[in-house]
Amino acid sequence: MIATSIKWTRHNLFGKPLDVVLSLLVIPGVLWLAYTITDWAFASAKWDIVVQSLRVLMIGVFPADQAWRAWTASAIIGAILGAGLGCVFCFKPHHGLVLLLVPVLLLIVDGGLENALPATGIIASTILGWALTSYVPLSRKVLPAAAFTGFIVIVAVMAPPGVGLWGGLLLSVLLTLVTSVLSLPIGILLAFGRQSRLSSLRIICTWYIEVMRSVPLILVVYWIWILMPVLAPQWGLADVARGMIGFTIFYSAYVAEYVRSGLQAVPRAQTEAARSLGMSEFDINRSIVLPQALRVVVAPLVGNVLDIFNSAPLVFIIGLTDFLRAGQMILANPQYGDRTFEVLSFLLVTYFVIGSMITYAARKLEDHMATGTR
Amino acid sequence: MTIHETSAVRGMVDHDHLKSRRLRNRIRHEAIQFGVIAIVVALLGMLAYAVKSGLAEKGIRFSFSFLANTAGFDISEGWTLTSGESFLPDFTLFSPDMTVASAFVTGIFNTAKVAILAIILSTVLGTMLGVGRLSTNWVVRNLCFWIVEFVRNTPLLIQLVFWYFAVVLRFPPMASAAHLYGLIVSQQGVYVPALSWVGGDSILSIALATLILVSAVGAIFDPIKGMRRVCVAAAVICFALLFVRGGVELNFPVANKFKASGGTSISPEMAALLLAIVVNSASFIAETVRGAIDALPKSQWEAAASLGLSRRYTVNDIVLPQVFRVVLPSFGNQYISLTKNTALGIAVGYPDLFNIYGTIANQTGHSLEGIIIVMASYLILSWIISTLVYWANRRLNPTGVPR
Repeated sequence: MIATSIKWTRHNLFGKPLDVVLSLLVIPGVLWLAYTITDWAFASAKWDIVVQSLRVLMIGVFPADQAWRAWTASAIIGAILGAGLGCVFCFKPHHGLVLLLVPVLLLIVDGGLENALPATGIIASTILGWALTSYVPLSRKVLPAAAFTGFIVIVAVMAPPGVGLWGGLLLSVLLTLVTSVLSLPIGILLAFGRQSRLSSLRIICTWYIEVMRSVPLILVVYWIWILMPVLAPQWGLADVARGMIGFTIFYSAYVAEYVRSGLQAVPRAQTEAARSLGMSEFDINRSIVLPQALRVVVAPLVGNVLDIFNSAPLVFIIGLTDFLRAGQMILANPQYGDRTFEVLSFLLVTYFVIGSMITYAARKLEDHMATGTR
Repeated sequence: MTIHETSAVRGMVDHDHLKSRRLRNRIRHEAIQFGVIAIVVALLGMLAYAVKSGLAEKGIRFSFSFLANTAGFDISEGWTLTSGESFLPDFTLFSPDMTVASAFVTGIFNTAKVAILAIILSTVLGTMLGVGRLSTNWVVRNLCFWIVEFVRNTPLLIQLVFWYFAVVLRFPPMASAAHLYGLIVSQQGVYVPALSWVGGDSILSIALATLILVSAVGAIFDPIKGMRRVCVAAAVICFALLFVRGGVELNFPVANKFKASGGTSISPEMAALLLAIVVNSASFIAETVRGAIDALPKSQWEAAASLGLSRRYTVNDIVLPQVFRVVLPSFGNQYISLTKNTALGIAVGYPDLFNIYGTIANQTGHSLEGIIIVMASYLILSWIISTLVYWANRRLNPTGVPR
């Protein structure tokens, strides 16, 4: 045992002169950093602020007595996400155990049921959705319809206290979901438009995509936010809806580019074969080209969802209280002014955990999609 | 079997039929083409009309004349162009009595300043991180991997807020700031030594400066590799001469009680924005570099090893030159997105283009006109970057040379 570890050390840390120098420089630094962070996290950091304001971080300024609405919506989102996951990865009992750790941890840290109860509900519905699509193949068929109904229910449940009160991590997740769902069809249309034989359509789509890809998202969101009331004053669109429109307009261009790369990956022979069978252009694109193209780009599109989720904090520019703003709101309280590190590192770690899961899913999906191809 | 008997006749009929069908198809094609254009023009017209009537209701007129008005607000940092007495515009610090157009120029200047610095720094750091992920040293490899993973999976905005509120604002105050060979790191900003011109009007100094400029241009644009090296050498020699003759000197910052004087200062906001963008872009660049190195045929490594090259020479002379040929277009995309990301400066109060636009929109009410200017500026910046990258790519990959 000791012999192998010495061998490993010699091979991996002190193999070459340069490695020796690097090891001597880096290892003390890393150890010092690890010690400092651990010492701070377990000895001097006061995490009670995060536990106390967990509700604000999760659902923003949503009224406390109406919080059940937000928790219900979160449970539905959890179920939809779990069901989507179940279509690709089969549910295993140990997944459920890992997920159930979250409410258990909350119970231990918090001591009360106020946070643990909703967390249990959300996790339970996620597991239920996941298990359902994993073991009942029929449920995958009705998933799109169910997800659509779920979205309507979410809006209906969340709307009564006022759309302006949506916030926290829930808003970030909702924004990400709505944007990724809406930008997919628009992106596909744009991608086809960019490859169209009609030069006018091609030029317009190319311009749209290129312009959107070279201006900052924050500008587009802000622009849509000030333009909407001028264009349609009678609609009185809420800030949340305007933000979602801005995100969709921007990310459609990115989706279009991903889809276009997929379209180009479909062998020409496929189109020609379909044409020789006498299929119409529309049928060729819909049932021959698009399915094969989407198969290639599913993984990059999941990566795009991560991009959208990572840009969600930008909605601070139109005055929405997303996850980051909720954290800053807590810090604005003079009583908590010195807890910058605690709150910001909680935000970063939460984002990192969710982001890593999306990245992991994208990688798995890539392998999953690659197995069927030659 | 009637095919043979009728084939000739049918062929002729088909020919006519085909011709008319082609004509019909073409007419249809043109009609659809025309229809698409008509729909888009109509949509744009409706949009313009709606905006105009919407603005008219609020009593705002759509015009660009506000650009010539006096700005009346101050910008914390940044240079601008104003029309001075001479033919060439003056390049001065922005002040509130200048025009709104000058304020926009300041914004573009500030955005470009951060973008250029970030492009250079993130390319260096990103390449180091990317190569570090393939190091033979276990600690270095894993450290680089986790840094890249962490940065890529968290939002840039939160990173920026973290850098600003948790790092830069926690720097020591000026009185107890860290001094490091003329570098001063403090809450009030980061101060670095700068070159300053003390040559005055002396002919020798100006001639040397011109020579440096000419040889620098030659070093970049001259098509012959040998000439480029000569140009680099000439530039270095001229610079050394200029320095020895006292044409330029290093200006070290000196710390006073509350601020430092001399040298070049980087405001806390800019320092935070620069740190956040550099680290973020470097991670994405590292991922690109790693992907490109992984994609390189294994035989390249093996061939280098069989020639007895050490790992350092293999990486520096065999792997990286080939990698840079492949990754340049992805670098270009990353540079563009980096330039766009400078718009986040508004979150920490750095006066970049978008931030200044926000101030102008608030002050003058001309938010829609301003948006057009800002969009056009970002488009032009993106185009400049993609043109430069395209040009560099052409330079590195002469057409006809297989990769």
